[in-house]
Amino acid sequence: MKKSVILLIVIIMVLVFILAGCAGSTRESKKVVVAQQYGLGYAPLIVVQERKLIEKYYEGAQVEWIQLGSGGTIREAIAAGTVDIGSMGVPPFLIAWDKELGCKVISALCRMPLGLQTYHKEVETLDDITPDMKIALPSPGSIQHILLSMACKKQLGGPTALDDQIIAMTHPDGANALINEVEIDAHFTSPPYIFMELETEGIHQVLDAERDCFGGTFTFLVAIGTEEFRESNPRLFKAVADALDEAIAWINENPDEAAELLAEVMDMEPDEVYKQLTWEGVQFSKNPEGMLEFLDFMKESGYVTKTTDDVSELIWDNLDYRKAN
Amino acid sequence: MKERAPDYKKNSKIRAALSRKNLKELWIKTGFIIGALAIWEVIARAGRVSSTLFPPVSTIFIALWDNIKTGEILEHLSYSLYLIFIGIGIGIVLTFILTAFYMVYMPFANIMDVVISIMHPLPGIALLPIIMLMVGLGAEAIIIVIVQSVIWPVMVNSIAGFRSIPVTQIELGRNIGMSEFRLVWSVMIPNAFPHIFAGLKIAWSRSWRALIGAEMIFGATGLVGGLGWYIYKKRYFLEIPDVYAGLLVIVIIGVIVEELVMKQVEKRTIVKWGVTV
Repeated sequence: MKKSVILLIVIIMVLVFILAGCAGSTRESKKVVVAQQYGLGYAPLIVVQERKLIEKYYEGAQVEWIQLGSGGTIREAIAAGTVDIGSMGVPPFLIAWDKELGCKVISALCRMPLGLQTYHKEVETLDDITPDMKIALPSPGSIQHILLSMACKKQLGGPTALDDQIIAMTHPDGANALINEVEIDAHFTSPPYIFMELETEGIHQVLDAERDCFGGTFTFLVAIGTEEFRESNPRLFKAVADALDEAIAWINENPDEAAELLAEVMDMEPDEVYKQLTWEGVQFSKNPEGMLEFLDFMKESGYVTKTTDDVSELIWDNLDYRKAN
Repeated sequence: MKERAPDYKKNSKIRAALSRKNLKELWIKTGFIIGALAIWEVIARAGRVSSTLFPPVSTIFIALWDNIKTGEILEHLSYSLYLIFIGIGIGIVLTFILTAFYMVYMPFANIMDVVISIMHPLPGIALLPIIMLMVGLGAEAIIIVIVQSVIWPVMVNSIAGFRSIPVTQIELGRNIGMSEFRLVWSVMIPNAFPHIFAGLKIAWSRSWRALIGAEMIFGATGLVGGLGWYIYKKRYFLEIPDVYAGLLVIVIIGVIVEELVMKQVEKRTIVKWGVTV
């Protein structure tokens, strides 16, 4: 009898702890956690951080910056409630939207040249890729993966034609492997790694994302904000939006200065960063482009379960829906 | 040798007592599983946690069923099992050869002692980056990792097993005129088998972990990819019920191997021969 009473108490206590843990932490409203990744595309966020722009628009704001390795990880952190503002490629965000994680785009970050490179001379189109060749990209569901699927649909007839040949690798690992011609046969990547690869002798491009995959220009990365954060502190939310606006405008107006600041943070030469910032196809803008087209394709191919024609379902109202698509 | 095992069938009292005890155990075990699943379902449905992150059990089972129907999960599972059987097979053959040499040649044993103490503590996964550089990314790399996870525990245990054989038994065997082969087959192997078997159990769990881990860290490794890659893929599409479904399959395979395969082998060998560690 006594034993079962003790057991009951233990079970109840465990349940109480579990449920208490689920209650969600009530955060101090002046605090915002921003998650970013590595790469040139995150330049607007780096500028916001270095020039303390959120603090400029919201006095006393406590901004915590964390750096995570992939959009998937940032999405998980958002879902778990530990990140307020995240950044990722458009498709990972659309997957989050599809799963109703309660976040929308607060600002687009950039347009960038993405592409698939190989060192196999005989590979000129996707048709030339043999079944034993491996294609590295950051992860399934990443923008690189969806772009490859788009090209597969166009050139090979089915979006998943090469899915079984994909290998998940971080950009630096993939670039290293491709340049040294080990482990992988092709690499779908973004700046600055795509620049490194294209400048290596013997490596050529098989797919240019805008020309061969998407068929037009599109936004590469977006910053997203959670509904919870927006509701708990609308003024701070606005400050983040304004900070991103200013950062993007500043990079566009002062590429020299921006290159210097980024070079210091990214531990690169200012000249090199300047060259990349002004590379053809690199553009920083707060207005997202091509999201609806990505969504349609992902729905058609079964990567998400729903779609929409209304871009305002995907962006917060600090952005002009007439300038987004 | 059959006579050695106690024949429960003849003693109905013992059998009844055993089955009563077994029945009670079975009840407690199933009760616990059902209770835990029910609590899970209630917490998930209480609405305080996002169902995307913590799906109800029912959703997970539906996801599992859907994945079985489309054949997706079975395809990944069979690939995983295919790799692991090849890996374990090669591992056992190599261990057999190495152990035989170890038992016969003194200098080889000394060298192997060093090799074992270096290699045994190394998790196979930790070697994967280096293996990948040598053989490339593919099924071969994973199989090498599995072989590495199999060889050392089985070898260490086999050696311990052979060393633990009482000298008197071997001498008795010689005295009654057994051939060397007969001696090894009928005296040494059965006596060492509990140790060897324990090594095999460790090998199985280590290689299973190595396989899933390798696929989750380094992505697909062959044409389809195994269960680890399946979970990895589903994670990046935020299909959390499918992730749980993948875990469930891993658990089910673990239980099947442990309860059916291992226990049956044990019953037909160790219990039957009446040898214990």
